Amino acid sequence: MSELLRVQGLVKSFGGVQAVKGLDFAIEEGRCVALLGPNGAGKTTTIRMLTGLLKPTAGEMRFHGVPKGGDQRSIIGYLPQTPAFLPWMTGLEFVVYAGRLCGLSSGEAKRRGQELLQKVGLAGAEKRRIRGYSGGMKQRLGLAQALVHRPKLLIMDEPVSALDPLGRREVLGLLRELKRETTVLFSTHVLHDAEELCDDVMIIRSGQIAMQGALNDIRVRHRKPVIELRVERDERSEKWLSELVRGLSAGSWDAAGRHGAAGLFEEAEMAGGGAARLIAKDVDAARELLLESMAKEQIKVAQLAVGYSSLEDLFMKAVSE
Amino acid sequence: MNGKGMAAWSVMTGKELLELVRSFKLIWVPLVFILLGVMQPVTSYYMPILLEKAGNLPDGTVIEIPLPSGSQVLADTLSQYGVMGMLILVLAFMGIVSGERNSGAASILMVKPISILSYIGSKYAAMLLLAWGSLLAGYLASWYYTWLLIERVDFAPFMYSYLIYSLWLAFAMAATIWFSTLLRSAAGAAFASLGLAVLLSLLAGLMPKYFGWNPGALPGYAYQAVTGEISQASRFGWSVGVTLLLAAISLPGSAWLLRRSPSID
Repeated sequence: MSELLRVQGLVKSFGGVQAVKGLDFAIEEGRCVALLGPNGAGKTTTIRMLTGLLKPTAGEMRFHGVPKGGDQRSIIGYLPQTPAFLPWMTGLEFVVYAGRLCGLSSGEAKRRGQELLQKVGLAGAEKRRIRGYSGGMKQRLGLAQALVHRPKLLIMDEPVSALDPLGRREVLGLLRELKRETTVLFSTHVLHDAEELCDDVMIIRSGQIAMQGALNDIRVRHRKPVIELRVERDERSEKWLSELVRGLSAGSWDAAGRHGAAGLFEEAEMAGGGAARLIAKDVDAARELLLESMAKEQIKVAQLAVGYSSLEDLFMKAVSE
Repeated sequence: MNGKGMAAWSVMTGKELLELVRSFKLIWVPLVFILLGVMQPVTSYYMPILLEKAGNLPDGTVIEIPLPSGSQVLADTLSQYGVMGMLILVLAFMGIVSGERNSGAASILMVKPISILSYIGSKYAAMLLLAWGSLLAGYLASWYYTWLLIERVDFAPFMYSYLIYSLWLAFAMAATIWFSTLLRSAAGAAFASLGLAVLLSLLAGLMPKYFGWNPGALPGYAYQAVTGEISQASRFGWSVGVTLLLAAISLPGSAWLLRRSPSID
């Protein structure tokens, strides 16, 4: 698979504040990449630099397939966070105009425009002025105008964050189709959207990459066995549980009379409501130990679940470190 | 500009013209110019009657106002355009660049592979078309009514003064697009452009010897052109040259401003 874009040492500072502090990443052709991070992490700044709207303070962006000194904008389609159009134009007029600015002939732009409006579900509204479009319609029009010149890279800034659940589902459905045809990069602060669509994720936090790679790799590499334990809320059981967590955190649980059991666990925390989350190192031994101890102490266990840490845990950990 | 740039420029100019049509500017701006142009000869002609009917003068007052010459009426028309016409044109275009940047439309348009110079150039072309067209329509109407009511003014001095005045409007439009790029506020751009025009005219009027070469002297030369002869031919030449130069610089200047501004949109 060939590389479409390589970014090295990308920095942007506003006044004395560095919003983006040296990003290095590459995007491969045909992948769908999510730029994930909390609000204010530098996602929009990064995207605006890639599209050429904002000049980087330092760093290099190389778009493969664009000759040196050429215009990267010719291979990019861009959908801003809250797209604004020329409200006095009709939907079709705007897409045709966008196409002609990208160098399509007027006939080709018109054909392509109608085809795309059909695809995004705006065919019925193509003759209406954009002034009267709803938020979801504008988002879909934004997609159509971004795709009109068949860009190699589609860049979107928070494409679904501002939409209601229905509009969100529609746009996500469209994106699922689109990612088969072109390389997609989009930013989001919603992990779920990234998980649903993407091959690769880049998690950024305060202007730096906290973690990046293929979603599956990350999931496999970072997943850990988790034991979720809930007891009934009688005094004896609760006391046992809180001692367990305190002891594990301190590294010396001896409720079972076995010193050194803490070596089986990595982390323990109370989850509230008489429940605890334990991250185990050796899940089988840990489970056995817990069951043994509970039986001995006559603890009223309500639930014992063994699973794996989710991407959400990983995301929270990456952005809050 | 290469062929591709030229094509993008003409597409964008087409869009600007369509915007003028959809916002009705292409209709009401020429209408106002025509109205102003017709009013001048009509009021000059009927002034004695107007004064008599509405002047609240005591009975028996005899009013003797010599009818102004036709060329004088045309010069007065131009000076009307210098105030009202200029105001309307500047107000119509004060947000021509800043409006698209503030609304966010620029962030969609500016990621298309277009050159910023042709973006600015297309806007300037539309501005010139409206300014020159409105001036021609209004000034022709004035000429025609002057002919009907007062006397016929030769076509050559009429056209000559039109061309000189067009140049002045071209300068004002260049200033407007420059300030609209520089300032995010449309009102600020209008204020700055009108202020600059007033300042230059004042300087040229008060100290013609030192400032007769600046664009602000052009309206004065246009009055002279229609009423008689341009007296200071060399200063006039300088003034034309300086105006052309400034207007020509303002476009790449605006493009440069836009390119080096912290964010294009």
